[in-house]
Amino acid sequence: MHRTVPSLPLAPSVKVKLINAGFQVASDLIDMRPLQLCKEAGISQEEAVEVLQMLRDDAQPHQQRAATESLTALDLLHHEQTLGSIVTFCSGLDNALGGGVPVGKTTEICGAPGVGKTQLCIQLAVDVQIPVCFGGLGGKALYVDTEGSFLVQRVSDMAEAAVQHCTLLAEDTEQKQALEELTVEKILSNLFLVRCHDYVELLAEVYLLPDFLSEHPEVRLIVIDSIAFPFRHDFEDLSQRTRLLNGLAQQLIQLATQHSLAVVLTNQMTTRVSNGQSKLVPALGESWGHAATQRLILHWEGLRRLASLYKSPSQMEATIQYQITVQGFRDAPDEPRLASSSGNYSKRPRMEDLS
Amino acid sequence: MVILREGICPGINEDFIKALQSEDIRTVEDFVSFNPEELAQKCSLSYKALVAVRRVLLAQCTAFPVSAADLYEELLSSTAILSTGSPSLDKLLDSGLYTGEITELIGSPGSGKTQVCFSVAVNMSHQLKQTVFYIDTRGGVCANRLLQMLQTSTPDMEEQMEALKKIKVFRVFDVFSLLACLQNLRSNGLQKASVGGGSVKALMVDSVSAVLSSMLGGKQNEGMSLMMQVAGEMKMIAKDFNIAVLVTNHVTKDGNGHLKAGLGQSWSHVPRTRVLLQRVENAETPSLRTATLTKSSRQACRLVEEFDLCHWSEERSTSISAKRKLESSKP
Repeated sequence: MHRTVPSLPLAPSVKVKLINAGFQVASDLIDMRPLQLCKEAGISQEEAVEVLQMLRDDAQPHQQRAATESLTALDLLHHEQTLGSIVTFCSGLDNALGGGVPVGKTTEICGAPGVGKTQLCIQLAVDVQIPVCFGGLGGKALYVDTEGSFLVQRVSDMAEAAVQHCTLLAEDTEQKQALEELTVEKILSNLFLVRCHDYVELLAEVYLLPDFLSEHPEVRLIVIDSIAFPFRHDFEDLSQRTRLLNGLAQQLIQLATQHSLAVVLTNQMTTRVSNGQSKLVPALGESWGHAATQRLILHWEGLRRLASLYKSPSQMEATIQYQITVQGFRDAPDEPRLASSSGNYSKRPRMEDLS
Repeated sequence: MVILREGICPGINEDFIKALQSEDIRTVEDFVSFNPEELAQKCSLSYKALVAVRRVLLAQCTAFPVSAADLYEELLSSTAILSTGSPSLDKLLDSGLYTGEITELIGSPGSGKTQVCFSVAVNMSHQLKQTVFYIDTRGGVCANRLLQMLQTSTPDMEEQMEALKKIKVFRVFDVFSLLACLQNLRSNGLQKASVGGGSVKALMVDSVSAVLSSMLGGKQNEGMSLMMQVAGEMKMIAKDFNIAVLVTNHVTKDGNGHLKAGLGQSWSHVPRTRVLLQRVENAETPSLRTATLTKSSRQACRLVEEFDLCHWSEERSTSISAKRKLESSKP
């Protein structure tokens, strides 16, 4: 492989020394011995070992694959079809999302306080565990709570409702067998909760996730509720914040792709004043808006709760109505009125009415 | 900074290098910046040999002038203009994406950058029968959507599958993998693909800002260097292999609240053509977008075209093609 030295993932100071010693491409380095390299480039022995180690790791087939081997879109299509998605138990939202929250992608849920972000997250954490024979994924969930808003009581409510729902659906013996396994306790035990108090803990957790995921390969959903809270205070240097957030986003997308799981992030809303008008927009700034693959905005309109798909690479923009019941996140009862307003996004500025 | 080694040019042997090293001359740069006469005395080497070596080394490292007439000839024979498939966007880009150039799409979240990339990729693989390399850094590539787009243009399953096979997707999530990917394409990926049926004429990177912005800002300086390396690699690929490169980038607001391309001043010189995508506020169809030309070497800037993401290949009758300064100035 024709790698230039400046493009290698090494410390800048080491790179400078290597370049000054005349090493330009990785192939100049690969056959060196550590001692020889440390003498020629004037770097310490540890650094020399590290450089060579990195080069060897880089040449490993599994590392190289991502960078050099392409998938055709056809392979990708087959892969996507096997991944499936997590149903939300709200058919309107499922349709808008194309079958539910997609696995292998990141989804951001934005909304004002109390509109139902956490409820949707808990619902997803329960739904991901629906057995395969019921059309679910039979996976596990990891829930990273940064706001302290996770309520285990709600999980057990929703789990009970989900179990009941499956009981009604069960027909053949396979499904009945699966039902015996599916209990509220089982659902609770397959949900891992991590409580992070500040952004350092959150970053550390996310960077340690690959280890956790290789120990628990059944995990199909990671929820971070919320990404905004730890990043919205304690930051003086905003460019530092943007940098960390972008790094975090890339790390999460990588996890979602490599481990085939859905990543769901929640975000708060903030007020932006433009042209003398104030309107609610998702927090964390303009560049964060690109971070997630899909963006779902939950908002109020009068007393109705609406969910708008604002950004998605595969689905049309759409607005649907939902409600939150004891059982969890559900379709709103009055469906017909909604159809007319679906897709019309101009109503968004009214979100501030109730906030 | 080419290091002086045995065999890089006739006349350089081990003793020669040792003699130079005693004077702390290690690279070609050090060597040519020294006066040969002085060097001959200091290192007790023959003046004649030094001058000869110097001439050869300079000739090896230099660039030669090319006549513009030849260049124009080459341009006419090798440049291809790849249609994006959308009449309004083609109009904006002066009939399509030019090979050998970098074109950039910028826009806020949900403005349709990825959709435009998809449409262009589908059009190239299906209509133009070219292989397309698609580097995905945001996990945004969605084969289902590509299929959907193909289904609108042809009902034939075979053709759809054929077109999908022509889109090659790389998924890289950090800047080092991106560089590895680009360098690998440059060293062997591109030739290989052109041998096996259909040459590669387009490379897309969606998005460059995703991998770069986590390296910029704060107190890190390395990001800049990595950014310029990415730019250099892309330019090299565009020029050497005569490929149209399409990249996407985010937008930021400047002091007056106007949108400008992300990644700062030094990046803004990298693409040859830049198109800003924006939503149409309060439009009846939410998929309506405007494209504004903000940088171009061929067309008047600030040209505006309107298009619908859902009906990519249809010409809009109510095109609001604003002032075309070039045309209006003609009698």
